[in-house]
Amino acid sequence: MTGRLRPVALIARREFAARVRGRAFVFGTLAVLVLLGAYAAVLATITAGEDTARVGVTGPATVLAGPLQRAAPTEGVTLTVIPQPDVAAGEAAVRAGDLDALVGGEPARPRVFVESEPPADLERVLDDATTVVARDAFLTGRGVAPGALDAALAESGPVFVAVEPPDPQAGPRLGLGLAGAFLLFFSIQSYGAMVAQGVVEEKASRVVEIVLSSVRPWQLLLGKVLGLGAVGLLQLVILGGAGLAVAGVAGVLVVGPGLVTTLVSVVVWYLLGFALYATVFAAAGSLVSRQEDTQSVLSPVTITVLLGFVVGFNLLTSDPRGTGITVLSLLPPFSPLFMPARVALGVAPVGQVVLAFALTIAFTGVVLALGGRIYANSVLRTGARVSLREALGRARS
Amino acid sequence: MLEIDGISKRFGSTVALDGMTFTVRPGELYGFVGANGAGKTTTMRIALGVLAADAGEVRLDDRPLDASSRRRIGYMPEERGLYPRMAVGTQLRYLAELRGRSAAEARAATERWTERLGIADRRADEVQRLSLGNQQRVQLAAALVADPDVLVLDEPFSGLDPMAVDVMSEVLRERRDAGAPVVFSSHQLELVERLCDRVGIVRAGRLVAEGTVAELREASATEVVVDAPRAATGWADVLPGVAAVRTTAEGTVLTLADASDATLGTVLDAARRTGPVHEFRRRRPTLAEIYRDAVADHHPDARPRPGAAA
Repeated sequence: MTGRLRPVALIARREFAARVRGRAFVFGTLAVLVLLGAYAAVLATITAGEDTARVGVTGPATVLAGPLQRAAPTEGVTLTVIPQPDVAAGEAAVRAGDLDALVGGEPARPRVFVESEPPADLERVLDDATTVVARDAFLTGRGVAPGALDAALAESGPVFVAVEPPDPQAGPRLGLGLAGAFLLFFSIQSYGAMVAQGVVEEKASRVVEIVLSSVRPWQLLLGKVLGLGAVGLLQLVILGGAGLAVAGVAGVLVVGPGLVTTLVSVVVWYLLGFALYATVFAAAGSLVSRQEDTQSVLSPVTITVLLGFVVGFNLLTSDPRGTGITVLSLLPPFSPLFMPARVALGVAPVGQVVLAFALTIAFTGVVLALGGRIYANSVLRTGARVSLREALGRARS
Repeated sequence: MLEIDGISKRFGSTVALDGMTFTVRPGELYGFVGANGAGKTTTMRIALGVLAADAGEVRLDDRPLDASSRRRIGYMPEERGLYPRMAVGTQLRYLAELRGRSAAEARAATERWTERLGIADRRADEVQRLSLGNQQRVQLAAALVADPDVLVLDEPFSGLDPMAVDVMSEVLRERRDAGAPVVFSSHQLELVERLCDRVGIVRAGRLVAEGTVAELREASATEVVVDAPRAATGWADVLPGVAAVRTTAEGTVLTLADASDATLGTVLDAARRTGPVHEFRRRRPTLAEIYRDAVADHHPDARPRPGAAA
């Protein structure tokens, strides 16, 4: 590392060390991790308690045990059938909450004792089971073997041919895409704002004059963006990794090639998006000299990003294949937020990804040139806020 | 050798510098004095590349300054600035490394200068926890820690306690003796008079007088103090060769238009005619007086005075 890049590396290292050791980073990351953990715990409890119905059978209705167990999977219910010695014991078990229902009496028209309202899915399972019992009795009475009818019916049913076959992983993919978009938005907003604050801090404390008597403005800007970008990336990896681990444990995510593509695209788009926004934030920050004024120059940028994010997030959840989100994901300032989500959903054609990438790189180039110029022109101006026109004026030689 | 050659700079309609020219030789301590707004800070900022000049050139050892040669300059800006939340030691090492020192050199220099400036026990503290005086010391350490070949210090003495002023003076002399060109600005003219090998007086963006303090004295109008207790008021008003007369606690002070023996003789004779003469001597103006004279001349196109050595 020599010459012009050593100062850049030194500056990046300082920014990285100052932030990673800072309270905001450590506690912020921990807080999000704790929230994620709590969410996962809640999710796991709900999943564990879900759909396990305990049904007691007694008397003649005991013959329903078989049909009930066969009907349960077709309704998506996990069912345990527990034979009861008599009606009184079964009803006591329902009252005590040990059973969800007690089935007794005539198999085709049983009496079902429940605490208050039968769960809809359990009702459907019971419906199916009583229908089977009634049908089998009817068929047997007419000399037809119910098994033969079942075999004939098993072969029937339509065969669907879809233009776009549904993705069995659609749910997790949407979750992954939305989580990616949110993490990118969060990282770019918070670390971009940190770049601006850092620029203003250097201006406010005047240390920038000493630093800029040693290095060029572009070196300082680049070092800052790289250092803080690395901190943001570190947090993104920690949070994203924790999120994926949680999703894996909860069983809502299956590791596959789609996942790898998504992760790579999130990281690549983060890097590009951060370079883009950090430059804008740095240029905006360089216009003011006091921390109190930072918000006024940042709001136009943050509000634009926030609006784009809200609109895009809604489009993404309601219609991930729609024209709206397609256009939004191709517009450079929003591509980094939404293209990875569309990649995660598997709805982004390669051509569009390449186009968005090229557009964003071109746009970032323009932003770097303009932002670098604004920064170089304003970073040493103290006092009143520098107007954009002045900042874009004559460049510093 | 640091050469400031014909630097001009405008801020909008304000002319900040108008052909500023001076040279600081190796092993020379150069004092840069002038009123607020005269252009001292702008000159230094341009020399450090923090501002761009509209015209003119700054050279170090006959080569125009560029990014790498600027790193050889130790700089103390007028607006003091350090990272408030960074520890003293880390900060000094960082600034030394930014100026091209290796990590080991930076560490050694940080230890050396913090010890020398009496802030060694504060190395682990954040700068914002230090007193203002100690922050000033850190600021000086920041200028010195990269082992610079040249020192450019803007108001290095402002805000220092007397002990720190002594340390600072000692350090400046030491660097000068080591052969470095050293230039600093100050409003404390007695200090400048005592410390500096040469002085440049700046007004309205250009140098109006320059030279050693002795040379500046030579160039300024000769004054004679006459203590003739019985002389009547106005005794010296019409003497040939006398430009101005004022009465002070010391006696009558005559400013001579020319310092020839003839004029001096005439003045002495006139004084003796009034009665006894207790004192008759050339008066040595202080730098403060020379400075006041120089900046009081309000000719818009005043040139450095003839006789003021360049």
